[in-house]
Amino acid sequence: MLETLSYMGQGFLNALTPLTLLLMAGGTAIGILIGCLPGLSAAMGVALLLPMTFTMSPESGLIVLGAIYCGAIFGGSISAILIHTPGTPASAATAIEGYQLTLQGKAGKALAVACFSSFCGGLLSCISLYFFAPLLAQLAMKFGSPEYFWLSIFGLTIIAGVASKSLLKGLISGALGLLLSTIGMDPIEGAQRFMFGQASLYEGINTTCALIGLFSMSQVLILAEKKIRQRAKANKFHDRIALSGKEIRRITPTILRSWIIGNLVGILPGAGASIACFLGYNTSRQFSKHKEEFGKGSIEGVAGSEAANNAVTGGSLIPMLTLGIPGESVTAVLMGGLIIQGLQPGPELFTRYAPMTYTFFAGFVLTQFLMLGIGLLGCRGFAQIARLSDAILIPSVAVLCVVGSFAIHKNFVDVVIMMVFGILGYLVRKFDLNPAAIVLALILGPIGEKGLRRSLLLSGGNPAILFSTPVCWVLIALCVFGVCSPILMNRMERKVMAASGGDASEEDTLPPRTSE
Amino acid sequence: MKKMKRCLILLMALAMAFALAACGNNADTTSPEGSALADGSAPADPGQEATPTEEAWTPEENITLIVSYKAGSGTDNTARVLAAYAEKYLGKPVIIENLEGGSGSIGWTALAQAEPDGYTLGFLNLPNFNATIVEGLASYTVDSFAPICNHVTETSVILVKADSPFETIGDLVKYGQEHPGELKASTNGSRASNHIGAQVLANSAGFEYTDIPYGGTADQLLALRQGEVDFSVAKEADFASFASEVKVLAVYSTERLAGYPDVPTMGELGYYDQWLGSSRCIVAPAGTPDNVLAFYEQAFQALMEDPDYLQAAESAGMFTDYMNREETGALIQQQQAFTESLESVW
Repeated sequence: MLETLSYMGQGFLNALTPLTLLLMAGGTAIGILIGCLPGLSAAMGVALLLPMTFTMSPESGLIVLGAIYCGAIFGGSISAILIHTPGTPASAATAIEGYQLTLQGKAGKALAVACFSSFCGGLLSCISLYFFAPLLAQLAMKFGSPEYFWLSIFGLTIIAGVASKSLLKGLISGALGLLLSTIGMDPIEGAQRFMFGQASLYEGINTTCALIGLFSMSQVLILAEKKIRQRAKANKFHDRIALSGKEIRRITPTILRSWIIGNLVGILPGAGASIACFLGYNTSRQFSKHKEEFGKGSIEGVAGSEAANNAVTGGSLIPMLTLGIPGESVTAVLMGGLIIQGLQPGPELFTRYAPMTYTFFAGFVLTQFLMLGIGLLGCRGFAQIARLSDAILIPSVAVLCVVGSFAIHKNFVDVVIMMVFGILGYLVRKFDLNPAAIVLALILGPIGEKGLRRSLLLSGGNPAILFSTPVCWVLIALCVFGVCSPILMNRMERKVMAASGGDASEEDTLPPRTSE
Repeated sequence: MKKMKRCLILLMALAMAFALAACGNNADTTSPEGSALADGSAPADPGQEATPTEEAWTPEENITLIVSYKAGSGTDNTARVLAAYAEKYLGKPVIIENLEGGSGSIGWTALAQAEPDGYTLGFLNLPNFNATIVEGLASYTVDSFAPICNHVTETSVILVKADSPFETIGDLVKYGQEHPGELKASTNGSRASNHIGAQVLANSAGFEYTDIPYGGTADQLLALRQGEVDFSVAKEADFASFASEVKVLAVYSTERLAGYPDVPTMGELGYYDQWLGSSRCIVAPAGTPDNVLAFYEQAFQALMEDPDYLQAAESAGMFTDYMNREETGALIQQQQAFTESLESVW
């Protein structure tokens, strides 16, 4: 134990060299930039810069990649908040509240909340990385096919929370997303479904493409439909960025909850930040004392989503480092980086290579502080984008959408898919359906389908396997809670309202309101 | 404030111009206005057109190496180790381009359609590459590519969990024969390489099993480690980081593997007696001039004998296996014939 502690201390000393700090700052800045450009995801950023780390020592290389990872996950929130374009799927839920805040002229505040929450989420996730890694890694081993099925069902229950106005429309949106998620190769039989001869659809609809289309391209269409005003969208522009003590106190419980959610989701292979942000957002809504603000720009919603997705970063490293299981694409690339450096993931990283590993962890901790610094410094500048006139914003966002979807695979089919989803997103909003629910179902559909079908294959068709382990029952309980709590909460609120005679009407999260 | 706004507008415009320029390279032929927008008035760089056709060819610009799988995938890792040492022998840096999707067919289509000027090369993953042709995902054939050399070869092995009751392949087969369909094997996808391995074992040993596709080798082996399935077929480099958690029961090779001298081959035990595994070879688009191919063949051979490279490859768990142009071409043809013959094993 004492030895481990000395490794930890030594790690900080190793990481605190000027060169390493410079690399960290550079990595974080590049990460933020990559993250805020739609189409360039954290995984791509890490992969693009991976070759540059070959010439570095393993610890410096890993620290740079880790900095890019954290920076990119935070960076995604910038474009989500400012132009309703989640830079990475991990920020899809941030766009819901963040953009509403921008419309109210509170872009700076929203960015500061996102930055602060990302910092807290990332920093807290280091705690589990340091002290509970081997223990938590066992969780990844407990998640078999039946557990993944229930996890996806639990994720889908969020639709009940996201679609607060009309549950029916939320369910229609979810079903649409699930239907779209069946496009591509059948995961069990290998049959081609709804591909119409397009090899590009073999691995299904790219989530990032769908996301850019549904959130951003549809936003462009909706903005373009209105008369273009030369004035900036947000007439009122609050330049106050610093968070007050009261605001920090308000988002602290949310951040703590999102940390736990993000961390646990991060540990599970295949789940990842895009699910964590929705879970974090939804939980912040369920427990909020200011529910009426949700859908109209709630800083708690932004904090819930951003703290959760950055808490994934530390969590996702755990199974990769201890078990050699890369949980998502970023950690897969990081694992590649390790292997190329001649280091095999596994227990040896914590014994034989402990100095290297703890230097990397220390770098990971320090990166969070740099991210907070760079992010807060940048907030004021970034926020100015919200003051741009629609005449500039519409073509700029449209170009970003096209470039972003092309950049994913350098494949023009992806641009076409993005456009189709843009039109779909436009129609969806016109009919008051829920784009967030579609994305959620698109992400969770394949996980659930594989989980269910594999479980039934394993049991020879006996559904009892779905109820066979304690983890299953925990997830089932969470599903029941997820479905019932919004209904119960609504009822309670109505009672309270009837008692007080207030008229805080429930508002939909969807229509992008412009503050005139 | 106003000044700041103007600056920002300018910045955004610049960012977009950069983005356009970035994809301009690919879109040059289709959208000339894209590149025109990007660099204002300057037309395409005239220096790019000159490709010398003399006898001895050497590259004058960066070389693109297409990997048809994601960054961080097995192929990507091995390609990057190779690329890290490539400049010394090729004279120019090698840039890895990941074009994933369509089970690899997206990248191979792009490679087949690339200019055969020696500046675009790529990896073919055998037999996955052949499977895309057989399954009708491809617009290319084996003749769309000119072989250069083989890079990595990995042999398939049969794995069980370390605490599995099956100590030998005989135990496994016996149980499978006595309890038809009860043994469960995780595979990396329906009809994917490791499913082929399991199927070949079951056919040659005469038992029935249930295959559970997991869509990827990492997930497939996680299921084995979790105890969700009884056995699995994987390649020898796939389980280096958790080798103590699994037992290797047999190898799909004509002779025993250096890393597992005590593990019998399948043929020794009277089951499938051919080699089975995967190879990654480097190819150029068909039509690439002979002197270019000859240059790369020699350069890659020298590179794969470089002690620094070999050291890095070994610590990364790679099985470097250089083959010349002819041997590589023969391997691609042989794997194609093998993949086409597989219809009979299902």
